[in-house]
Amino acid sequence: MRITKRRTLAALALPAAAVIALAGCTGDDSGETTGGDDTYAKLTLGMTADLTGGWDIVDQPPYQSWGIEAVYEPLVRCLPGGELTAAAAESWEISEDNRSFTATLREGATYSDGTPVDAESVAASYDVVKETASDRYGDITYEIADPQTITISWPEPQPLMNVRVCSPYLASIDFIESDDRDTSPVGSGPYTYDAAASTPGSAYTLVKNDDYWNTDAYPYETLELRVLEDETASLNALKTGQIDGTIISATTYDEAESSGMEITGVQAGLLMIHLTDRLGEVIPALGDVRVRQAMNMVIDKQAVVDQLWDGHAEPIWQPFQLNSQAILDIDEPYPYDVEEAKALMAEAGYEDGFTMTIPTMEGQGWTVIIPYLTQQLAELNITLEQDALSGPDAIATLLSGDYPVPVWQVGGQTSVEDITVHVLDTGFWNVLHQPNETIDALWEEIVTGDEAQQIAAQQEINQYLVDNAWFVPILSPYNYYAYNADKVTVTDVSDPNGLHPKLIDFQ
Amino acid sequence: MILKQLARAAGVFLVVTFATFALMYGNGEGVARATLGLSASAEDVQRRVVELGLDRPLLVQYLDWLGGVFAGDLGRSYFTGLDVTTALEVRVPVTLSLVIATLLLTIVGSVLIGVAAAYYGGWIDRTVQFLGGVGAAIPPFIVAVVLVLFFGVEWPLFPATGYIRPEESFTGWLYSITLPVAALLVGTIAGGAWQIRGAVRDMLSRDFVRTLRARGISERAVVLRHVLRSASGPGIIAFGLLVIGMLGGTIFVERVFALPGMGQLVTQSAQAGDIPMVMGSVLVTIVIVLVVNVAADLANSLLNPKARKR
Repeated sequence: MRITKRRTLAALALPAAAVIALAGCTGDDSGETTGGDDTYAKLTLGMTADLTGGWDIVDQPPYQSWGIEAVYEPLVRCLPGGELTAAAAESWEISEDNRSFTATLREGATYSDGTPVDAESVAASYDVVKETASDRYGDITYEIADPQTITISWPEPQPLMNVRVCSPYLASIDFIESDDRDTSPVGSGPYTYDAAASTPGSAYTLVKNDDYWNTDAYPYETLELRVLEDETASLNALKTGQIDGTIISATTYDEAESSGMEITGVQAGLLMIHLTDRLGEVIPALGDVRVRQAMNMVIDKQAVVDQLWDGHAEPIWQPFQLNSQAILDIDEPYPYDVEEAKALMAEAGYEDGFTMTIPTMEGQGWTVIIPYLTQQLAELNITLEQDALSGPDAIATLLSGDYPVPVWQVGGQTSVEDITVHVLDTGFWNVLHQPNETIDALWEEIVTGDEAQQIAAQQEINQYLVDNAWFVPILSPYNYYAYNADKVTVTDVSDPNGLHPKLIDFQ
Repeated sequence: MILKQLARAAGVFLVVTFATFALMYGNGEGVARATLGLSASAEDVQRRVVELGLDRPLLVQYLDWLGGVFAGDLGRSYFTGLDVTTALEVRVPVTLSLVIATLLLTIVGSVLIGVAAAYYGGWIDRTVQFLGGVGAAIPPFIVAVVLVLFFGVEWPLFPATGYIRPEESFTGWLYSITLPVAALLVGTIAGGAWQIRGAVRDMLSRDFVRTLRARGISERAVVLRHVLRSASGPGIIAFGLLVIGMLGGTIFVERVFALPGMGQLVTQSAQAGDIPMVMGSVLVTIVIVLVVNVAADLANSLLNPKARKR
């Protein structure tokens, strides 16, 4: 019996000793200095989703694109508010008619395969983008004056010129012609991809490109991007020092804060009910402005922010970002008033209400807002039903027009962009694409006018949308980024979309 | 017998892969749009459909995939462009690490606990039955969350997330799979011990055991050599089923511990409509299931002479 006991103890002691010994081996070198004053060993960032488009330069989403920002460089970089800053181009000029962008490339810059960042490679990179974004780049032409100077021209004036030129990434011609565009990036950015040290789908390692023109702006020798899709897993990794920063949601804000993390909040995005059937073709009641106004009046936006978002948002009354050019200095146009809303419905002849179905998809916070909307719209006898969309057809179905009243969070870099996306009849979020002469006329002023005229026209569009209640604006949430301040410093959030810090913001 | 099993396996393979392909098929436009994003125009989507070959008839696409399988080419992800075989090379070892480690520990644990419960009975048996019921009822996901909270975050003995390859660091690998395996073990040992307990109890009540004891054979020999061997048949079948069931359980555990395994790949790819990745994952899953079945049959026939005669 004694022998058995001893054996058992010995059997237990071995793994226990191993555990203790191994515990001493674990560690993290993130943020350790490498000797220089402003350089650090490693920055490890958590990504809540894998690279959605591989490493190809085509149509890369701006969301969590640290890997793409690391290996590639655009012609110019967009800043919040629509301003441009230098990147591959050290200077640039936009033609007076807003049709052409002339870039002067910096001398001596090369891609990671050693080929020069010249006008030919810029044209080749834009040609790739033309294939998948034909609505924005399809008809562009190039004029190459010399290897360092390229003029990109559109047949029509481009009110969104800045956004157009800061979006595409540049890559070497050999890379563009290769079959490995998704897996073997060749760019001119501050880092190069280390495939041997990476595990696709799990962790990507990038090493500093010492030949980059602005290396001082990127102080980390190594960048590691870890895919952590589960928010709890992500927060656990942050707390235990496995990563240095990650995106968090309002629901984990308190936990991140109480565990000593620094949190940066950026306000961007507009959560709205998009009443796209303004002609009442599918839901006749929505063709009456009084019904649309009544729907605005039964939503207590401040209460939603306070109670459902715990204050992590701002109520909105206009369908544009709070600091955008289109924003108006007006009071709340449709204050919360259920009785007045009911009276408007009765006046319009819809006191018995109607039924509308909204599409939902995982991960947009509907579990929080939909029960409230259902309850409030029921005050007007409007029945809100939901269709949960999933799978590869979800996006196509969402935009197909089958659901004329999507509840969605939208918001681009500028109000001009927002007009193109959810106001113009061609906008993909204006899902029923119903024409409107007033909007078209004002858009023409934006396209052809000078800056003052453009701003005035944007504000007129906003006033028209508010007066005609095209939307039910609800709130603008804060996007949060949590990071370990002992290891990294986030100086500023230079993302024009206000989603999270850009790679250059980690110091 | 082997030829018969191979023919059966080939049949299962064709039926399952074709059924999966047919289920995934028909989303050509949706898949193409998903790869291009919200703002893609209808023309761009159509161009992408043709580029990916999604406009071809179902049978042509399937036969193309099947031809690729025999040529060792499983295609590329529609989204990331990653070679499917490369993705599987990364993912399969992660999931297999979890499954094999859990299976081995389950066999040892279940046999020890199950035999003890069946042999000693009384409070040991009642305790095992109670804990077994509780263990089997708690989903691995919950166990994983509790384990990571206590042993990953609060008392950080093990990494809270991530996987380290054994060729990189064996101890690191051991470390990275300890909590995930423990999360899976709670349910599998509970289920396995129940099966072994039942089978051993059944055998202990048989006449041949009484005869063996009457002949003066030691208790250890009766239990370990005769009873356990006779009880191994249902046990092996149970363990085989356990492995197949575990492939599902790993999906949640991989998510909690952010492990780059098959489960994550399957859920992501199926959701996106990434047919090459889904088909690659299905292929691996079928191979695992078929290998486990054949291995279970062989083990059964080795340990149990009666099974050999069948």
